[in-house]
Amino acid sequence: MKTNDTSRRDFIAAGLLAGLTVAGCKSSKSNPFDSLADNQVKPSGEMVKLLGVNGEVIEVDKAFLKPVPDLPPISNEMARRGIAGKKFVMVIDLSRCKSVKACQTACNHAHQIHGGQNWIKIYPLQEAEHTAPYWQPTTCMHCDEPPCVKVCPVDATFKRQDGIVLIDSDRCIGCRFCMAACPYSTRVFNWEELELPKEVAEKPYSCETSVPQKKGTVGKCDFCPDMVRKGGLPHCVSACPNGVFMFGDMLEDTVTNGAETFRFSDLVKDKAGYRLMEDLGTKPSVYYLPPVNRNFPFENKEPQTETKKS
Amino acid sequence: MESIAKQKIIEDLLPQKFGKAGKIWVGALLFICAIGFFAYYRQLSKGLVVTGMRDYASWGIYISNFVFFVAISLVGSLITAVLRLSDVHWSTPLTRIAEIIAVSAITFASIIIIVDMGRPDRFYNLFLHGRLQSPIVWDVIVITTYFFVSLLLLYFPMLPDLAILMKFKEKTGAGLNKIYSFLGAFWKNTPVQIHISEKAINLLSVTIIPVAFAIHTVTSWLFATTYRPGWDSTNFGAYFISGAFLVGAGGVVVAMFVFRKAYHLEKYITDSHFDKMGKVLVLLALLYLYFNVNEFLVPAFKMKKPEEEHLLGLFTGEFATVFWFAITTAMIIPILILLFKKGRKPLPAFVAGCLVVIGSWFKRYLIVTPTLLHPFLPMQDVPASYRHYFPSWEEWAIAIGSLAGALLIITLFARIFPIIPIQETITETEQHENENA
Amino acid sequence: MKMKMHSRLLFSALLLQLIGIAAFAQTAKNDLSLSVSYFNSNNQVQYLVAHAKSKIDGKFQMIPNINVSFYIGSESPSNLLGKGVTNNKGECLVLIPPAAKSEWNKSAKPGFIVVSQATKQFDESKGNFDVTKAKIQIDTAADKKITAVLLELKDTAWTPVKDVDVRIAVKRLGGDLDVAETPTYATDSLGMVSAEYKRDSLPGDAKGNITIVAKVEDNDLYGNLSSEKIVSWGKYYPYKSEFDKRTLFARRGKSPIWLELIAYSIVAAVWAVLFYLFGQIRKLKRLGI
Repeated sequence: MKTNDTSRRDFIAAGLLAGLTVAGCKSSKSNPFDSLADNQVKPSGEMVKLLGVNGEVIEVDKAFLKPVPDLPPISNEMARRGIAGKKFVMVIDLSRCKSVKACQTACNHAHQIHGGQNWIKIYPLQEAEHTAPYWQPTTCMHCDEPPCVKVCPVDATFKRQDGIVLIDSDRCIGCRFCMAACPYSTRVFNWEELELPKEVAEKPYSCETSVPQKKGTVGKCDFCPDMVRKGGLPHCVSACPNGVFMFGDMLEDTVTNGAETFRFSDLVKDKAGYRLMEDLGTKPSVYYLPPVNRNFPFENKEPQTETKKS
Repeated sequence: MESIAKQKIIEDLLPQKFGKAGKIWVGALLFICAIGFFAYYRQLSKGLVVTGMRDYASWGIYISNFVFFVAISLVGSLITAVLRLSDVHWSTPLTRIAEIIAVSAITFASIIIIVDMGRPDRFYNLFLHGRLQSPIVWDVIVITTYFFVSLLLLYFPMLPDLAILMKFKEKTGAGLNKIYSFLGAFWKNTPVQIHISEKAINLLSVTIIPVAFAIHTVTSWLFATTYRPGWDSTNFGAYFISGAFLVGAGGVVVAMFVFRKAYHLEKYITDSHFDKMGKVLVLLALLYLYFNVNEFLVPAFKMKKPEEEHLLGLFTGEFATVFWFAITTAMIIPILILLFKKGRKPLPAFVAGCLVVIGSWFKRYLIVTPTLLHPFLPMQDVPASYRHYFPSWEEWAIAIGSLAGALLIITLFARIFPIIPIQETITETEQHENENA
Repeated sequence: MKMKMHSRLLFSALLLQLIGIAAFAQTAKNDLSLSVSYFNSNNQVQYLVAHAKSKIDGKFQMIPNINVSFYIGSESPSNLLGKGVTNNKGECLVLIPPAAKSEWNKSAKPGFIVVSQATKQFDESKGNFDVTKAKIQIDTAADKKITAVLLELKDTAWTPVKDVDVRIAVKRLGGDLDVAETPTYATDSLGMVSAEYKRDSLPGDAKGNITIVAKVEDNDLYGNLSSEKIVSWGKYYPYKSEFDKRTLFARRGKSPIWLELIAYSIVAAVWAVLFYLFGQIRKLKRLGI
C-alpha cells in the first residue's frame, strides 16, 4: 500500500513537469499533451532567467513556467467553454475504498464546505440481502447528457467541452430544479450565509474553483478544473491514501491516482468497470470498478446510517 | 323588459360597502398577510435556512402551494371558456367569480415561486439568460400568457358593467367612479362595440383553453421531466389537469356560497347552480380519482425498487396519514356527499367544496415532498435534520399569507366590481322572458 | 523503488515521533517537519520544493501558510535562492535563479537548505538536501525501443551511474503511464536502461505524437530528474465534443431546432391573438369617444 505522502509527492512532481516541459523543449508546442493549458497559453515574450544544471544561465518564457509564478485568472467565458481537446474522466475503484473519508475532508477543505454538507458522499451500500456490502464514494458524475443542465433556466449550470459540469454561483437563481433533476443526489444548496474567512469570502467567485460558495445558490463537485489547469489532480484524488480515485483525460486514454497510472480502456475492460444508473441515459463521466477481491472487511462504524440498497 | 326589474338587478348586483363582518374579514386577511411579510423579511435576511427545506427535501410547501395556485387558477378556463363554448348558460353568474379566482391565483403562483427562489434578487436572470430548454422558462412564458389571457377574459365581459356602474356615482363614490371611467368610459353599448366585444370574448374563450392546459401541463413537467420515483410518469399532465379542474370547481362552489351569503345573492346564485356545480364536481372528482388509480396502482403493481419506498411511504409509511386524508377529503367524501340530491343543496355542497380545496392542498404537498425524500441513492453524509421535512413557522406563515393574499384580492375585487355580471344577467333575463312570451 | 520510499518514510516517521516526544517535554508547540526536494526537468529547469508537515492528533498533516526561505550552500543572505509560503498541500516551490551560479559551480554536491519562520504553532525548522549533479539522456529507436542514460558530474566529466532506478513512461495528465508492464529499470554499468514501447494505439495528438519521459524519482543522491522526447508512436483519434451541438443540455441559444420552432410558433400564435385583442380594446376606445 502506498502512503499518502508518496502519492502526493509523485503527483506534484508529475504535475509540475507537465507545466515545465514546454519550457525545455522547443518543438513541442503543437503537442497537446505536453502542457495541459497549452491551448490557452501563448508565449508572453517575458523571459525568466534560471540556472541550468551545467551551471549555465538559461532563459525560459514566463508563460510556460506553470504553475509557478502566477496563473492568469480564467475569465467566466473561458471557464464556461472549458479546456479544448480534453475529455475528463474519473474511475473509482470500489475494491479499495474503506471509507477513510480523506477525499471528503480534502474536498470540503478546498471548497470551504461546512455545516455537515458534503460534495463527496460515501455510501454504505448493499444491493440485496445476500450480496456483499461495500463503500461507494460519489462525486458529481459530470454526465455527458446532464439532466441538471437540461433543466437550468438561466445557464447557471453548464456542460463544458472538456466534459465538466460546473455552476456559476454568480448567476444561479436558487430555484433548485437541478437538485430535483439529479438522480445521484450530488447537489447541495447553500441555505444560509456561509461562515468563510474574510479573504475567501471577498475573492471573486470562480466557476472553476467553486469558491466562495454563495448564499441561496447550488454547489456541487466540480472535478477541480483549477487544479487540472495547473497540471494537478482533483483534491479527492490526491488525498485518498488508498488510491481509490483515478482521474485523467479520456482522450489520452489514461487515468492516474498520482502514484499509479493506468490505461483507462484497459482498466475498465479488465476490471469490468461500469457507470451508475446507466439505464437513465445520463452517460456519466465517472466509472466504477466493482468491489471485488477486497483485502479488508466491510466495517460500518456509523450505527445511525443503515446500509441500504442502491 | 320593464326597467323596474332591470333596476332591481342593478341594485342587487352593485358592489357594496364592507359591513362589519366584511371589515373584520379584510382586517384578518391583512393581518395574516403582514405575518407572511414579516416571515419573508426574515427569510430574505437569513436565507432559506429559516425554512424546513434542506438538501434532500429541497422543495417544500412553497412549491406545493405554487402547484395548488396554478391548479385552482385553471377554473377560469373551465367555467368561463368550456361552458361558454358549449353554450351552457346557467354558468353565466359564475363566470366572474371563476375569472377573479383565476387571476388572483395565478398572481400568487408567480409570487410564491419568487418566494421559493434562493436568490430572488437575480430574478431578472430569467430574462437575461433564459434557456429555452428549461421547463421553468416554459412555465414563466405560459404563466405570463395565462395571466394576460385571464385578465382580458375578466375585462371584456366587464365593459358593459363598467358603463352601468358609472351611472351610480353617488352610490359607489367618487374614487371608484374614477376607476370605472378609467377602465370603461369609452363603452357606449353601441352595436359595433358589442359585436367587437363578443368576438373578442369568443376568441379569448378559444385561446384560454390550450393556454390553461399548457400552464398546468408545464407545471406537471417540472416534476415529470426528472427521473424521480413518483414524478417519472407520462400520466402527469393529465393527472395534474384533472386535479386542477377539481380543485378549481371546488373553489368556485366555496366562493359561490360565501358571496351568496355575504351579498344576499340568493336570486342570482340559486340552488340550481349548486346542484349543477355539484354534479360537475362529482364528475371531476371521479375523473381525478381515475387518474389517481392510474398513478398509484400501476407502479404499485410492479413495485420497482426505486418506487417501492416511495409508494410504501405513501400507502402505509410516514406519509400515509396525509395521503389517505387527502384522497378521502378531496375525492371520496365529496363524491359521497354530492351524489345525492340533498347533498347538492348549498350548505352541503359548500362543505364538499371546502373538503375538495383542503384535500387538494395536501394532495399537492404529497406530490412534491415525499418524492424528494426518497432519492435513488440513500440519504447519506448529511446532518440528521436533512432526513426529514416539516415546514417551519416562516414557511407556514408565508404559505398561509399567500393564500390570504389571494383571498384578499378576490375580496377587494368584489368590493370594487360586481361579482356577478350585471349586463349579462339582464340580457339573459330578457331572453328568458322573451322565450316565455 | 516504492518499497524503498516506504521504508524511508516509516523510518522518518519513527524518527519524528521520537523527536516529537523529546520536544514535547519542553514546549507545547507542535513539531514542524521540513524537507526539501530537488527537481531537474529536461536537464534545464531546476527547482526546489519544500514540504512542511506535522503530526497532529497522531496523523501527519500538510501545513499551509508557513513562510520558508531557500538557501544554497549555507544559510547566509547572499546565498538566498528565494522565499515563499506553503500552500494547502504544505508545499512551496522556488526556481533556482542565476544568482546561485557561483555556489552551484563551487561544489560537486551543492547543498540546499530550507528554513521556516517560527509561527504561533510551530518553532523554526530546517530541512536540507545535498544534490549530486546528474542528468538523464533519453534516446529512441525506430523499432519503439527507448534507451536512457544516467550521468553524474564527477569533477568535470559526466560519468555513467550504475544501479539507479529509472522509470520510462509516456507523459500524461496528472501522472505518467509506464511504456510497458515493467515500471522501472535499473541502470547497467554504462548507466543505461532500455525499454520497449508496448502501448499500441495509445492516443497521441493530431500528428500521433506522444512524449516519452525517462525519470529518476526521489533519489537520495540525485533528487528528481527527468528527460523527455517526443515520438510519433501514438495514434490520432479525432474527437468532436458535443459542445457546439444543439441539444437539450446545451447552453442558451443552442436549443434543438424542433424545440425552438415549436416553442416560438406557439408563443407567436398566442401572443398574436393577445396583441390583436389589445388592438381591439384601442378600437373600442376610439369608437367610444
